[in-house]
Amino acid sequence: MEFDVIQNLATGFTAAFTLKNLGFALLGCFLGTLIGVLPGIGPIPAIAMLLPITFQLEPLSSLIMLAGLYYGAQYGGSTTSILVNIPGEASSIVTCIDGHQMAKQGRAGAALAVAAIGSFFAGCVGTVFIAAFGPPLSALAQQFNSPDYFSLMVLGLTTAVVLAHGSVIKAVAMVLIGLLLGLVGTDTNSGLTRYTFNVSAIWEGIDFLPLVIGMFGIVEIVRNLEATSLPRAAVSTRFRDVWPTRKDFHESWRAVLRGTGLGSILGILPGGGAVLASFAAYTVEKKVAKDPSRFGRGAIEGVAGPEAANNAAAQTSFIPLLTLGLPSNAIMALMMGAMIIQGIEPGAAVMTKRPDLFWGMVASMWIGNLMLLVLNLPLIGIWVKLLSVPYRLLYPAILMFCIIGVYGLNTNIAQLVIMVIFAGFGYLLYKFGCEPAPLVLGFILGPVMEENLRRSLVISRGDPMVFLERPISAVLLAMTVGVIALIILPQFRKTREEAFQE
Amino acid sequence: MLRVKSPQDFGAGIIFIVVGAAGLIFGRELAVGTASRMGPGYFPILLSYLIIAIGLVVSARGLTLEGPPVERIHLRPIFFVLAAILAAGFLLNMVGLALTSVLVAIIAAYARSQVNLLETILLGIGMGIFSVVVFVYGLGQPLPAWWGN
Repeated sequence: MEFDVIQNLATGFTAAFTLKNLGFALLGCFLGTLIGVLPGIGPIPAIAMLLPITFQLEPLSSLIMLAGLYYGAQYGGSTTSILVNIPGEASSIVTCIDGHQMAKQGRAGAALAVAAIGSFFAGCVGTVFIAAFGPPLSALAQQFNSPDYFSLMVLGLTTAVVLAHGSVIKAVAMVLIGLLLGLVGTDTNSGLTRYTFNVSAIWEGIDFLPLVIGMFGIVEIVRNLEATSLPRAAVSTRFRDVWPTRKDFHESWRAVLRGTGLGSILGILPGGGAVLASFAAYTVEKKVAKDPSRFGRGAIEGVAGPEAANNAAAQTSFIPLLTLGLPSNAIMALMMGAMIIQGIEPGAAVMTKRPDLFWGMVASMWIGNLMLLVLNLPLIGIWVKLLSVPYRLLYPAILMFCIIGVYGLNTNIAQLVIMVIFAGFGYLLYKFGCEPAPLVLGFILGPVMEENLRRSLVISRGDPMVFLERPISAVLLAMTVGVIALIILPQFRKTREEAFQE
Repeated sequence: MLRVKSPQDFGAGIIFIVVGAAGLIFGRELAVGTASRMGPGYFPILLSYLIIAIGLVVSARGLTLEGPPVERIHLRPIFFVLAAILAAGFLLNMVGLALTSVLVAIIAAYARSQVNLLETILLGIGMGIFSVVVFVYGLGQPLPAWWGN
């Protein structure tokens, strides 16, 4: 078993360690950090915006670059949290609490270094985690039949809804709307077009990019413009003393370990991912601390724990996507979209049919983390300068990149119109308190889910009991019921609200 | 007299009902088929009904439980941002990426209330140069850089 892990990783490193792939990993990390640092662009629109660039690359290079972008954006988000008290993205919200206090006390360097080192450590563990758990999970997935896949998606979407923040019932509706939107286009079974209104641009389905960029990227620009105060002013810090003291290390290494463990596990759960992991890690650190009152006033564990957790989770959230074909959050849905565009069907088959791709990507995750560590600590000065770019100069440029990305898909103006429609729809939904992420999950899973439902019912001749008769499917559905029961329990509801309150 | 106690929930519920109803209306010609032989309409119609059902629950909740108000909708930002996108769509093939960038910068600038036209034009020129160099020459995207081709 252990031998397998090493051998597999060796396959991966061989595939990833070409000059070209290293270059793309570097480019991804660099661009990701750049965008993560810029205020007002989260990782979802950042990845969506840069997705078109990767289309021309070969599959492995493009996935490597995308993964690099993701980590980079996350790392960039932590930097802004600490220096300016603006979380570049949701998973670094908690980093703001103590990280920014540390910066105010003149310890920004230590906070940034602990965040980087903690993230790197967590990234290494996360990589080994994937290498160890990937093969058994994908072996399990090979036993899956249509009913099992259908139940798996039901479980995945349910968990995603329960673990995400915001209203559960609205999130369910958003998933269903996403599933419905995913069905637009030609029905593979009958060859008939559905909901296309004779618009040729959507005969083969609504493209993923205008939808995601419209609902995330454009809506985010509008939201930022509506906010009364635009993001501002970095704490002035000296960067000569970036390295944390011995005392800092002593105080934070346990938090890093706890965060890594928690993050690795929560990352695998659908809907979990980096955001939940960082919130949970912060709560845990506060609970185990001898003197909880230090939190909120610059406790280094409050930076180390969540940063390790969100990076570990960012890694392990690839597991369900790569082994089961189930994206656990909106970013993984983007990755799945990118894989499909590259002609790769995400799921158990990736590991057996394209081991170089799977292991290459796993290896590149580790490489990406290393690059972030060596790139970012010395470059912090540059990132800080970037922060002083005012938003009024930034958003027209962001807008232009969104336009180029979507138009460049197939130089069809219809794509821009679709983007405008989804931006308007997303804006409306945002005003009425609906999160867009569940919709994207549904959208990407819509066609797969319908196909598996159809096949299941063909096998069973229309008897829905097939979902309970097959053991794997029955277990998955039982787990779904368990998850639903959780949300009804008052105790869990309270914890859930608390976890997202901080 | 019914009073909307949670405008956010009520509004969201109405949106869901409208989306679900649209799913039914525009999907009415799709054959539903039977469970063992699902037609193209089976899954979409099922989803539409579920969406409507949730919409009813959520809007009913909006009438009975107190909840947050809807944040004020500012028309200016959303209007100019969307207008800039559509304008770019119509302009790109006519005048090319370079000029479109300048125009997008100008239209987008009006999404805010204070506009510094000179600064905006300079920004637009910068965006134009960057876009043409990176996307057209660098990445070889199939976009015209200039007008007249």
